[in-house]
Amino acid sequence: MKTLKLKQAIIAAVVGTQFVLPVFAAESAATGTNGTAVVEIPAFAADGGSPAQEAEIKALKQQVEALVEKVSALEQQRAPAEQAATIQNLDQQVRILQRQREIDQDTATAKAATVPKVTLGANGFSFSSADSNFVAQLHAVLQFDSRSFIHDNNAKGVDGFLLRRARPILSGTVARDFEYNFTPDFGGSQVQIFDAYTIYHGAPWFQVEAGKFKPPVGLEALQADVNLSFNERSLATDLVPNRDLGLALKGDLHGGVASYVVGIFNGASDYNSTVTNSYAQNNKSVDARLFFQPWKNSDVNALRGFGFGAGGSFENDNPATNSTTGLTPGYTTDGQQKFFSYNKNVYADGVHWRLSPQAYYYYGPFGLLGEYAISDQHVSNDSAGGSKNVDVHNTAWEIAGSWLLTGEDASYSGITPRENFDPRLNQWGAWQVVARYAELNVDDDVFKGSNFNTSLASPKASADSAQAWALGLNWYLNKNVRANVSFSHTTFGGYTGSRTGVPAQAENVLFTRIQLAF
Amino acid sequence: MRTFLILALLLAFAVSINAAEVKLLNVSYDPTRELYSEYNTAFTKYWKAKSGDDVTISQSHGGSGKQAQSVINGLEADVVTLALAYDIDAISTQARLLPADWQKRLPNDSTPYTSTIVFLVRKGNPKGIKDWDDVVKNGVSVVVANPKTSGGARWAYLAAYAYALEKNNHDDAAARDFISKLYKNVPVLDSGARGSTVTFAQRQIGDVLLAWENEAHLALKEFGADKFDIVTPSLSILAEPPVAVVDKNANRHHTTEVATEYLKFLYSDEGQEISAKNFYRPRNAAVAAKYAANFSQVRLVTIDQEFGGWTKAQQTHFADGGVFDQIYQQ
Repeated sequence: MKTLKLKQAIIAAVVGTQFVLPVFAAESAATGTNGTAVVEIPAFAADGGSPAQEAEIKALKQQVEALVEKVSALEQQRAPAEQAATIQNLDQQVRILQRQREIDQDTATAKAATVPKVTLGANGFSFSSADSNFVAQLHAVLQFDSRSFIHDNNAKGVDGFLLRRARPILSGTVARDFEYNFTPDFGGSQVQIFDAYTIYHGAPWFQVEAGKFKPPVGLEALQADVNLSFNERSLATDLVPNRDLGLALKGDLHGGVASYVVGIFNGASDYNSTVTNSYAQNNKSVDARLFFQPWKNSDVNALRGFGFGAGGSFENDNPATNSTTGLTPGYTTDGQQKFFSYNKNVYADGVHWRLSPQAYYYYGPFGLLGEYAISDQHVSNDSAGGSKNVDVHNTAWEIAGSWLLTGEDASYSGITPRENFDPRLNQWGAWQVVARYAELNVDDDVFKGSNFNTSLASPKASADSAQAWALGLNWYLNKNVRANVSFSHTTFGGYTGSRTGVPAQAENVLFTRIQLAF
Repeated sequence: MRTFLILALLLAFAVSINAAEVKLLNVSYDPTRELYSEYNTAFTKYWKAKSGDDVTISQSHGGSGKQAQSVINGLEADVVTLALAYDIDAISTQARLLPADWQKRLPNDSTPYTSTIVFLVRKGNPKGIKDWDDVVKNGVSVVVANPKTSGGARWAYLAAYAYALEKNNHDDAAARDFISKLYKNVPVLDSGARGSTVTFAQRQIGDVLLAWENEAHLALKEFGADKFDIVTPSLSILAEPPVAVVDKNANRHHTTEVATEYLKFLYSDEGQEISAKNFYRPRNAAVAAKYAANFSQVRLVTIDQEFGGWTKAQQTHFADGGVFDQIYQQ
């Protein structure tokens, strides 16, 4: 409208007083559909007059039309320049807003990077500093078991429920490189500290671990409790230490193709934990393990899950320090019943070494784990005329296989179901069948001697061997919840006593477990 | 006891192997990426030839003030090469990671190269920007980073302030008014100099970028000389970006020797040549003469002359509640 007025004003100025345009009175009517001005000529000018006047008017009309055309052309030339300036201005505004948004996002990202993180998921509850240098994680393991002893004449093996493990686990890192773990156990009849250690991670190949943790000997013993195939570890694990206090150097080489651990420990007896969190003797045990997974990082899928190695320990038990220490409290069955123990007054007396060649193989749903264990210990009977410094050479072995019926990948470090249990979606988790055979043989020299005072162990109280097979079915509802049932049958050799129950008769146990771990 | 000794030896062996891997972290300011990328390659060769050791140098870049704060907060820099001495002073006073007299340890107050602030304008200089007076005109859009976080932006601010003081017979109120007009023309404040270059050159915002001299030349190189022109104002400021070994970090990393050599090498002929090639004004007169064509003639004032040094300038202008906060909140 403003443009139109300008145009009309120019025309009026040019035409002057020769005729009058009803510019402002007919503003809307003066605009054609194409936006050009329509000039209204007053009636008196067209109705008559001399031919000269008419000619003059005609000439003036032509002049006006020509001017209108010129003005229109000028306006058309000016409009794009104005529009371009406006567009450029708008473009700058948009660019500024976009850039401001980018900067705000960068600022928000930078700020988020300084805010501590809290996460809760399948891997537990975690607090972390913004740079992840300080992490505190809360995990838990709860194992609710039942054991039913079958055909035991009600003599041994109490049927019932038990809280096998109830462990809150506090773990994490401080100052980026220092890992820590504190794991008490409320599952047994007394509260114990199972793990309490710190690991300095200097490099993948250079780590230093100190505190209470698993000595590097047995393969099954080193497997996490929550990932075991059966409720209880096998007879082979009876011959290796459970947990001990010590200092170890360890690491992975070539991306985990080889791993090593070497450490010095107080020296725990066979399948026994250091309970007191203190020391019992001057001499220490050196434990070490080498393990290889040659194809771990290769493209050969069938061999990636193959690993082999050996763990061992060496110590020189000194009876002068404490004559009651250094010996196992006994070897137990799958049902945790004792079938072998040394006589009273028998103590460790000299060198004790262990060796455990070991291997596993996992490929697709199939898993196989085997190990052999030797525990060779010098033992004496303190009684007058008792056997002295006898080299006791106990051996055990196991082989355990597993198959995931639902096709997941088997692993030493746990199973992750393809589908979590959810009956509403017709999803049933992962199912696995497991089987195991194990033996333990006690050195015959242990039983030499005529009575309790001269022999190291009595055949009337202990068996000299045990053989156990077990079958089980494991149901992984999801990564955190698992239920399993298994049956274990154990037979014994060499027992000559008259008591009922183990080891006079075979042990048959039906296990169940509900496990929650996160 | 024997076992303990064996373990101790194993540990010592492992630690000694670890120490053979020399790593340095250089925490620097925004526009030095290209400079130190080239320089690190040269130094790695030099150090290999001199010591036989391989050294791996990592770079970290950002607004100078932010980078200093990161080091104070625990970023384990072996060396810092920041935009201004105040930021390294802050590391010294707040975190005590190096002594207060750190600037005396290397020549030229530990400033191996200098720079200044120039204008980068769009090709043909459509807004006719020739000096600071043009930058504060209505309708001129100015791109510069936030002086609270960017060293380069602080230098730019002070350069403009120095010009205004000189023009107004050191009338501080007039200078504040001038600087206030300047920041009214700034539509976006980036946190660092590189961000400002992105804003101006890539996002195509604004008519003029107040830039480090080297950053302006880099923009020509990166984006094409047919897109921008460099305009040198009648007066600017002598920017002196300093360098220092962060003693406590370097000691902890066992890198003090190599870190010191790393900085000393900046003063060598080769180090000075690399600086000049990257449009940092070298201290070495011969190298400066060789690369004179890289640098325009401009009258430079110093921060000591005009503002009484960095500590005073920081307190007056950039501290919370300082002049910048006052004029920017208007």
